[in-house]
Amino acid sequence: MIQILNTTLIGLTSGAIYSLMAMSIVLVWRSTRVINFAQAGLALASTYIGYEAVQLFDNYWIALICAMLAGAAISAFIEITFMRILLKHTSSGPIAGVAPIIATLGLLGIIKALITMNWGGQDVVITPPLSNTGFSIGSDTLVFSPMKLAIIVSVALLVIIFSLIFQKTNIGLALRASAYAPEIARLAGVRVDLVRTLGWALSGASGAVAGLLLTSYGTGAFSPESAEFSLLFISGFIAAVVGGLDSLVGAVIGGIFLGLVTAFVLMYISSSLFFIAPFVILLLVLFIRPQGIIGVKAGRRA
Amino acid sequence: MHKLSNKKRLFIFILLGVAIYFLSGAVDELRVYQGATVAVYVVGIASIILLTGYSGQVSLGQGALLGVGGYAAALLRIQFNAPIWICFAVAILTAALARLSGPYLAGTTLALAVGLPSIANQFELLGGEQGLLFDVGFPPLSFGEDFTQYKWFFWIASLATLIAIFWLQNVMRSRYGRSWKAVRGNDVAAELAGINLTRNKTLAFTLSAGLAGLSGALLAMTIGTVSPSAFPLALSFSLLTGAVIAGVTTLGGVMIGAVTLVAIPDIAGAVASRFGSSEAVTSNLPGLLVSTLLILTVLFVPNGPVEQLHARREHRANK
Amino acid sequence: MTRINRRTLISASAVLVVAALTAATVPAQAAEVGVSNSEIKLGMTLPMTGTASPGYNKIPGAMKAYFDYLNANGGVNGRKITLKVEDDRYVPTEAVAKTNKLILQDKVMALISPLGTANNKAIAASVNPARRGVPVLFVNSGFSGFTDTKKYPTTYSILPSYVMEAKIMAEYIKDNFAGKTLGLLYQDDDFGTDALKGFTQAGITFAVKVPYASGSQGAAGVPAGWITKLSAAKPDVVILFGVSSATAAGLGTAAALKYAPQWILGSVGGDATTIKASGVPAGVLYNAIGASFAPATTDATDEYVKLFSDIYAKAVPGSAFDNNVLIGMNSAFVAAQALKAAGTNPTRKSLMAAIDAKGASFASAALIPLNYSKTSHVGYNGYWFGKYSPTGDLKPVDGKYVLYTTDSGSGAVVKSTWKRPAMPAKGLPN
Repeated sequence: MIQILNTTLIGLTSGAIYSLMAMSIVLVWRSTRVINFAQAGLALASTYIGYEAVQLFDNYWIALICAMLAGAAISAFIEITFMRILLKHTSSGPIAGVAPIIATLGLLGIIKALITMNWGGQDVVITPPLSNTGFSIGSDTLVFSPMKLAIIVSVALLVIIFSLIFQKTNIGLALRASAYAPEIARLAGVRVDLVRTLGWALSGASGAVAGLLLTSYGTGAFSPESAEFSLLFISGFIAAVVGGLDSLVGAVIGGIFLGLVTAFVLMYISSSLFFIAPFVILLLVLFIRPQGIIGVKAGRRA
Repeated sequence: MHKLSNKKRLFIFILLGVAIYFLSGAVDELRVYQGATVAVYVVGIASIILLTGYSGQVSLGQGALLGVGGYAAALLRIQFNAPIWICFAVAILTAALARLSGPYLAGTTLALAVGLPSIANQFELLGGEQGLLFDVGFPPLSFGEDFTQYKWFFWIASLATLIAIFWLQNVMRSRYGRSWKAVRGNDVAAELAGINLTRNKTLAFTLSAGLAGLSGALLAMTIGTVSPSAFPLALSFSLLTGAVIAGVTTLGGVMIGAVTLVAIPDIAGAVASRFGSSEAVTSNLPGLLVSTLLILTVLFVPNGPVEQLHARREHRANK
Repeated sequence: MTRINRRTLISASAVLVVAALTAATVPAQAAEVGVSNSEIKLGMTLPMTGTASPGYNKIPGAMKAYFDYLNANGGVNGRKITLKVEDDRYVPTEAVAKTNKLILQDKVMALISPLGTANNKAIAASVNPARRGVPVLFVNSGFSGFTDTKKYPTTYSILPSYVMEAKIMAEYIKDNFAGKTLGLLYQDDDFGTDALKGFTQAGITFAVKVPYASGSQGAAGVPAGWITKLSAAKPDVVILFGVSSATAAGLGTAAALKYAPQWILGSVGGDATTIKASGVPAGVLYNAIGASFAPATTDATDEYVKLFSDIYAKAVPGSAFDNNVLIGMNSAFVAAQALKAAGTNPTRKSLMAAIDAKGASFASAALIPLNYSKTSHVGYNGYWFGKYSPTGDLKPVDGKYVLYTTDSGSGAVVKSTWKRPAMPAKGLPN
């Protein structure tokens, strides 16, 4: 009994982190119709800045804010300088699909190389602010701790904030409009370019939180080649696709779904299926519902 | 762009073959091995040009399809000791059978690329992490003592590549190629003109997968083994990179793309060891250089050097 | 017809005579590949970047530290040893390409410590150092197949294979934990399946076995899954037979979940320095049992550890002296002795002959003897067991080193009374 409960808890908390990354990906997709492969690299860079902030301010939460700001700033910078030139040169033709992928991959390589040259390849540690010791129920220990609770609360908060921004504010409306019909939005007076940059900035902030919380999920140690970060993007991407690339709520649902199913498969079938499970999940979801769980069927744009 | 008749093209390919034959005698063993690797990449990149450049679909997991081909070839060799040519043919078919189609292709192919290594670990038959041996045998003794193993690989790979590219060019000039171009230009109009979109795209993917399988089998030949770590995610991304550098829309630049993939890491490594200071810098500099080159190429020569040349020629002609 | 035949005959004989004369002119004996009057070149491939690189990418720095120290003290018979390192990113295609570059372009004398089972297999199959007569010294892999001298005649292993380690662990468990229930965490590739083979051979059964996909140990939630599974079966003793990142993750997560069986750590993952560097508090290691064939890296009383850590601290200041560094420097040390024993005009053949003849008596930092001979290319063949102190230092149980040794086949495990001889002066080959 406790095993099922624990598996669910594992799935929920890991799913929460996937959701954050998925949200980052969806934010960029919705604003510029590009999959940003450098997302995890940006999250990594933001996390290192968070590490420096912890050294400076000795407070995790302040460092988290710093990391978010840094993530937003770097992402916005990349959108303004890099992506605009890229999209201008490659806006049509088959290259349009592939070029952003290649370019952001190149970006990822550069970010990783620069990080390693600056901070070295060995682990650095950001001590988690809250204890990771599980809560006890009688003689059993739950796979749930104050830190993990904080992770879930943070994710929930971000989801609520982002949803509010998108649904209730003018900027949110502008964001949605610029993604779906940029020409019309421009005619309506929306500063489409500015809004796109904003989308990227929000994505960078979300990615930074994902990165920092990811390190706090475990012991707080990470390095440029940390498997956690390489896996983070793939998991986030699959979660985003499962959820239907076009909605933030979908991203969250996709993340939780992926987390839960993976946890149960690893626990009750075999724990070596970690890389196969997402693939099978993806195939099944797309087979049954090709547009993802929340996605809307792509209409024909003549 | 004037099109050559089929006979002329065949003649050119045969000339290429002869040139390669003489080249293999003139260069040293290391270059011959690199030549075999170039051939592997040529076929791999061609598979992406077909899929993405002609048919407009994006696959992030071409490396996995190469893996399927490689494993199929190795298994066939081990279980039946079949001659290599049959191995290659079956590799092509098997990979083609593993085709996927539909939306969200990118996500699925990415997941496949990540999941493939684990599959090999689940089944004893596939040899696990350490992999299976793929031995194509030694060159015939009649070629003489000096005929190295690597020269043999180079010959086999080159021959397979020439045939595959020639055949691919034929396909691209056929009505299938034209229908892909039509769909790529405007899929609504193409469908109205009577082209079945799903079948069209599936065919492209199947052929692309088949080429990828051949490339994988050739790769397995050059390293003498297949193992999950030989087909990492990075391979898929390298092929995409090579395709972009080659010019995703035409087959002409495929050699440039393949040679770049093999040559650049070498050059970057040489540059790094000359200018490198600490260990951290030296080992990361090649990665940095390659990534920078990638970005510069995509930004400034997005359609590839071949297209760029054609565009310039047309521009001059129109003046 | 006859005329043509005679002409052909004359031309053919002329050619034959010329050929014979050319062949008879034996060219002057060229110096061995990779050996000049002042330098011996060695080559190495391993992951310096990429997800498999953390930890391993310290090895070249460690080896170079020792070689630089050696070169500053006269080198080997007056020659400096140069190490050329190539990054293969743990991909077999790159390992083959880089090894080709080392052998065909850089013309190294021998390969040293190439890393990775799949990579070494590809190198053997494609580059074929055996056919080229290139020695492959001290392969950095625990794959038992590399000890087969018929398949890999120029290859010398140094690490005990994983099968051997499992057999030895099984014996230790029989000696100290007979009758207790056992659990196992293992990596689901050749590293882990080799271990399973050894355990099965030794007749050990597990109440719970948890495999993990290599690379997944860093993913959120995965280690928690292992601990939940393990603790559900309530074994008394749990063997962690994974890499150090997995071992650290397992220990840290278990502590957070207040799960504390008797831990036994395998040699690969049991490096205290790496575990502590990944944020696991030293207290978690306390009383865990570890296996090693080298002295503990935290043992400052050991003469090898003292010398090597001194050399390393001067060469790479600020970098922690962990197991990877110790074993790397040790391999460099053994290689230096092999090169010295190869004579004043070393060749590839004389190098290998030297290891075959004298390898078993080379000095080394390990507490287990080397086993090289004409018929065996097995390096270390055993382990000692220790317990981690409250500060996370591995110390032999009850202060006495008990060496468990075995062979690479189905032979039994025996306790050896071998004592490590004193280190040669200044840690240089004598």
